[in-house]
Amino acid sequence: MENMVNKVARIPNLVDWSTGEVRLMSAKCNSCGTYFFPKEHYQHRPGCSREGVEDVLLAKKGKLASYTIQYYPCPAPFKTEKKITPYGIGLVEFEDEKIQITGIITGTDLKSLKIGMEMETTILDMYTNEEKQQVVTWAFKAVN
Amino acid sequence: MRDVYIIGTGIHPWMGFSEQVFADFAAVAVNDALKDANLEWQKIEAIMAGIFIYGGNAGHLSGQYLESIFGETGIPVVNVYNACATGSASIRMAYNSIAAGETDTALAFGADVSPKGFLTAKSDNAVQDRDVIRWKMGGLPNPIYWALECRKRMEKYGTTEEDLALVKVLMSEYGSKNPHARFKKQYSIEEVLNSVYVCDPLRLFEICPVSTGAAALIVTADEELISKADNPVKISATTMGSAMYGDPTIRISALSCPSVPEAPMLSESYSASRQAYEKSGIGPEDIDVLELPDNSSWHYLVYLETCGFCKDGEADKMLRDGETKIGAKLAVNPSGGFSSHGEALSAQAIWQVIECANQLRGRCGERQVEGAKVAMAQTYGLMGNSGTTIMTI
Ligand SMILES: [Zn+2]
Repeated sequence: MENMVNKVARIPNLVDWSTGEVRLMSAKCNSCGTYFFPKEHYQHRPGCSREGVEDVLLAKKGKLASYTIQYYPCPAPFKTEKKITPYGIGLVEFEDEKIQITGIITGTDLKSLKIGMEMETTILDMYTNEEKQQVVTWAFKAVN
Repeated sequence: MRDVYIIGTGIHPWMGFSEQVFADFAAVAVNDALKDANLEWQKIEAIMAGIFIYGGNAGHLSGQYLESIFGETGIPVVNVYNACATGSASIRMAYNSIAAGETDTALAFGADVSPKGFLTAKSDNAVQDRDVIRWKMGGLPNPIYWALECRKRMEKYGTTEEDLALVKVLMSEYGSKNPHARFKKQYSIEEVLNSVYVCDPLRLFEICPVSTGAAALIVTADEELISKADNPVKISATTMGSAMYGDPTIRISALSCPSVPEAPMLSESYSASRQAYEKSGIGPEDIDVLELPDNSSWHYLVYLETCGFCKDGEADKMLRDGETKIGAKLAVNPSGGFSSHGEALSAQAIWQVIECANQLRGRCGERQVEGAKVAMAQTYGLMGNSGTTIMTI
């Protein structure tokens, strides 16, 4: 795993590395079985009692359900110290959780992208903040 | 419920960024609608206004600002926002107010001035506004969402880059004949395929930009006004839909979607269109003119399926076989679509309805669909907003 010392997510409650693995922070409704991401973005099944929503971490790995390559910089407030365009965006499917999640693709040859390929959750360094911490976002990379 | 008719329409032509005040654009459209309806301002009994979200306090109270230009009369003025289906909401409110007998004659309008540069986050508070997350951490401008769905479609149904380009070729041909359109250049398939990728597989000419524009619609159940009007158009149904649980579409602004579908794609539009078919007793097979929201070439294809004009996966063949052209049984976007106009958020759904009304009233010149009797306008708004209006003459 990456050296995660002195790294901080730009917005909290989305990506976690406290277990020693980088994983996305979700919540599961134990009444209707739906997983949410972001975890506060509830999308219950109609008629659900909405009882028993618990925080969970998604599996580390999933499959690429779709992707695109973005050729123009994402406008502010997005920011990275290094130029990242063109960058890939993947829609990664977590089969057990029945959810697909978007994320920037990093550390992967964009020409090798193929629907169905195995991807794992990681982080992307964005910039250094005033406290000299490395600010990061979640990302996906191909499993070698 | 009473029958409701369109008797007056007005459009301020679509254009790029402007320093002019949005309410002045709105006033141009409203003035034209009053003239078309041969109506005095004082006869308007309610105003249903689309909110112009980049206009601050004035934009959020656009109806009041418009009313003050023509003269305040104390009537109900309601301002509404439903993303790109904002105009559908204002038309629906005007229709319902009249059909229920609350008012006889109402105005629905919207006016938007394109923001300078890119659309981006509208707040800095990721707790209250989850949209902030996709901008600050997701790297997700709107067209990426369309590209992700388009790639899935290509994999599933074999949609080709030529199909995507052909949509633009057709739209640019019609847009070149529309005086309200912002983009009037005609493109060949090679020119479209040679345009740069914005987000692969979608190219620059295959996605629509943001524009400035205004549109106004006067509707009535007043029999005297209807009898005096030039070819009044009956609204057979005007509906709105929201999304359904289990819709697999990755919605603009969202960071996730279900992987096991339990509802149709673009379920908000599926819902709005089915409600309209049910209420009007009119089905896709009866419709002569369809204005659909071609925010990208992908939308053009998927909306034919979502609204039931063909089965899933068959839209590409309809397009290739010329079944969506002016002159075929169904004319799709004879206006040139969003591709030739760009989006003007609060105005675009009203503009689509006016285009349909103009076709039914035989006012479309070179792009006229001969003998058009039934038309449908379909909108698409982010995070589960959609509206359908079916009109007859
Ligand atoms: Zn639930």
